[in-house]
Amino acid sequence: MRLRGLLWFNALFFIMPVTLLAGAVVEGRVELPKSHSAPVQAKRYEIVTKGGVLSTQPPVAVVYLDGVFPSPASLPTKEVTQKDLTFVPALLPIRVGTKVEFPNLDETYHNIFSYSPAKRFDLGRYRPEERPIPVQIFDKPGLITLRCDIHEHMRGLILVLNTSYFVMTDTNGHFRLGGLPAGRYTLKAWIDSRTTREKPVELKNGQTLHVDFP
Amino acid sequence: MRSAVQARDEGVASFRTRLFTAIMVIVVTLTALGFYLAQRKVTADAERNLQDNFQAEISSLHKLEELRHAALAERCNALAAKPRIHAAIEDNAIDLLYPSAKDELRDLMEGDEPPPEQATQSLHARFYRFLDSTGAVIKPPNIYDVGELDPKTEAQLALSRLPDTQQIGYIRGNTEADKGTIDEVIAVPIFSSYTGDVISALVIGFKPLGLEEKNAEVEMRSGVWVNGQLHLPSLPKSARASLNERITSAVANFDREQDNFRVNVDGSPHLLFYKRLNPGSLFPAAYEICVYPLAYSMAQLHRLRWKIGGAGALLLLGGFVASHVVALRFSAPVKKLALDSEENRAQRKRAEAALASTTQELERSARYSADASHQLKSPVTVLRIGLETLLTREGFKPEVYEELSVLLHQTHRLTGVIDDLLLLSRMDAGHLQIASGPVNLSQLVDEWLDDLSALPDSPDVKIEKELTAGLFVAGEKRYTSLIVQNLLENARKYNRPGGLIRVSAHCNARNVVLSVGNTGRTIPPNENIFERFHHRSTPSSVSGHGIGLNLARELARLHGGDLCLVRSENDWTEFEVRFPAADGDNAVA
Repeated sequence: MRLRGLLWFNALFFIMPVTLLAGAVVEGRVELPKSHSAPVQAKRYEIVTKGGVLSTQPPVAVVYLDGVFPSPASLPTKEVTQKDLTFVPALLPIRVGTKVEFPNLDETYHNIFSYSPAKRFDLGRYRPEERPIPVQIFDKPGLITLRCDIHEHMRGLILVLNTSYFVMTDTNGHFRLGGLPAGRYTLKAWIDSRTTREKPVELKNGQTLHVDFP
Repeated sequence: MRSAVQARDEGVASFRTRLFTAIMVIVVTLTALGFYLAQRKVTADAERNLQDNFQAEISSLHKLEELRHAALAERCNALAAKPRIHAAIEDNAIDLLYPSAKDELRDLMEGDEPPPEQATQSLHARFYRFLDSTGAVIKPPNIYDVGELDPKTEAQLALSRLPDTQQIGYIRGNTEADKGTIDEVIAVPIFSSYTGDVISALVIGFKPLGLEEKNAEVEMRSGVWVNGQLHLPSLPKSARASLNERITSAVANFDREQDNFRVNVDGSPHLLFYKRLNPGSLFPAAYEICVYPLAYSMAQLHRLRWKIGGAGALLLLGGFVASHVVALRFSAPVKKLALDSEENRAQRKRAEAALASTTQELERSARYSADASHQLKSPVTVLRIGLETLLTREGFKPEVYEELSVLLHQTHRLTGVIDDLLLLSRMDAGHLQIASGPVNLSQLVDEWLDDLSALPDSPDVKIEKELTAGLFVAGEKRYTSLIVQNLLENARKYNRPGGLIRVSAHCNARNVVLSVGNTGRTIPPNENIFERFHHRSTPSSVSGHGIGLNLARELARLHGGDLCLVRSENDWTEFEVRFPAADGDNAVA
């Protein structure tokens, strides 16, 4: 129940009119790689590899404000579920120190592990009903590749960031990031495991800045 | 007679010797041929048997190896597909590679080596290593988990590049030690789950399956040659070194997948087979080596040689006896032959002696007539000179003068006869040489006709001449002249009063033919007027000495022509003489 409440809180946070809050807003569009597959009806996307590069399919980007920010007192717990032999969500951006749960919603075993330098872990085999739900805290920034030792095709990504100011674009590349502190920062757009674009921005309270990543 | 019998016996003995020699040559040739063919056949059979044996052994070995390779390949491919292996390589966690593989390969690595009889079913690995993207060996963090290898041996696992397919290789462990071992290795590619490229390879080492050295009849020894090193522990070290050189040069020079050749191992002949174990592999070429002793086939060959040699000796003995028998059987006809040939020889000698004496006689007679002619000539000359001197004297009665001139005429005739005889005898002796040149026949005839009409006792005859001027014949002038003179004088001499002499000539490309015809008494057909000293059967007022025609014909033949009587009938006698035409002088006929 507490999780649900948190999610609702998050939603309200984003939906609230920006003018009601102090802070700056950045909006714009990230030019995403062309997708050849048919558009997906739901908000489901998966991780694909092409030429050794991991990206989502259909392509989406994570836009975040890079900088040094005081860490918040508490961080919401996130989750990456295993459903129908895929990771949901396939790409999860989180702030450093976030706790992520890995609930198994399939009716089979999974064995989630990561050999990525930013976080190595191995959850071992677990059944759907097993409690407690396996959990990991990600305390180093970087890209983590999630794999399942039993289902070799499963891939998931967790993008661990130093900042709380991040948002995922829609599949057209549009984004809107609000409640940002004023100042000079670098706005970055993570597109795939090899490509991250960046632009310097100067933010002022109450202003909406338009930034496009070509 | 004693010596003849001795010679005959000697002849028979030599015939026997020659017959025996011929038989011996044939027998020896046949025996040698038999030796050669048998040796070839035995050697070829032995080689073929051993080759079959080797092929059977090696194909059964290959089947076992293939089974094992297939099973291993399946395991390796499953392993290579494991997410942890991929994660370790793709997510830059090489340090986790060997730990990740350890669990997966535990069943291959754990436990003791199986006993040899179970080796074919076992998949017990001695070691494993991963190769990085350049083909070099990725160092394991803990050597005890992955199977111990000394650095030199481990270095042999590296490849020049990562393989796309499974590769089989053979490496020598413990390279410096003499009792080193051979390990069979299989390299399996690991493909990237991202790109599909080969990103690594897993190399697993096993104890190789050996050929079973169990064939009791043919004691075979097998081993492996790899990278210039022969691993054949059952051979003594000294033999191994020389064998290794032979194999190395054979493999290097001919580049064949398989072959065989003869070698000497400790002084006894062996047949060595080799066959490539890992054709097309990225690992160094390795060959299965099998050495078979040829002692068995050598013994067989030895036995066969004795048999053939014995048969040859028997044949020789038989030949000796046969030659004796045949010589005895043949000696009777040979003796007869010898006798006959002696008789023949005596007859021939007699005939030769007769021929020689005849020839001598002939020569003697020819010489005699020549001598006689010479001896006759001198007194005739004296006689003639005396008569001529008497004729110049005065004071004799006219009848005496007349008589003297008749006598003088007879001496002239006598001189002519002697000259003719002299010439004939020279011709008979074969001493007469013709100095051939062009002779003007027309002119000769004219001169002689003139002389003829000038003779005092010439009868009243008419002369007809049908002769073109400038007819040339090939010959010597004095002899040609003699022939013409003879014919013309005869035509006058045997003519009748009021008769006719006709001289004509015609010529073709090769010959000139002169015809002399005269009226008068004809010559009977049965008379051989060309015979020497021939005299006419019927009495005549005129007489000749009987050698003129003979001489003329001999001379004509000596010149390459001929003289013959054309006809003699109805008061007409005609002779024809043929001369060879002088080259190019008779422009017109």
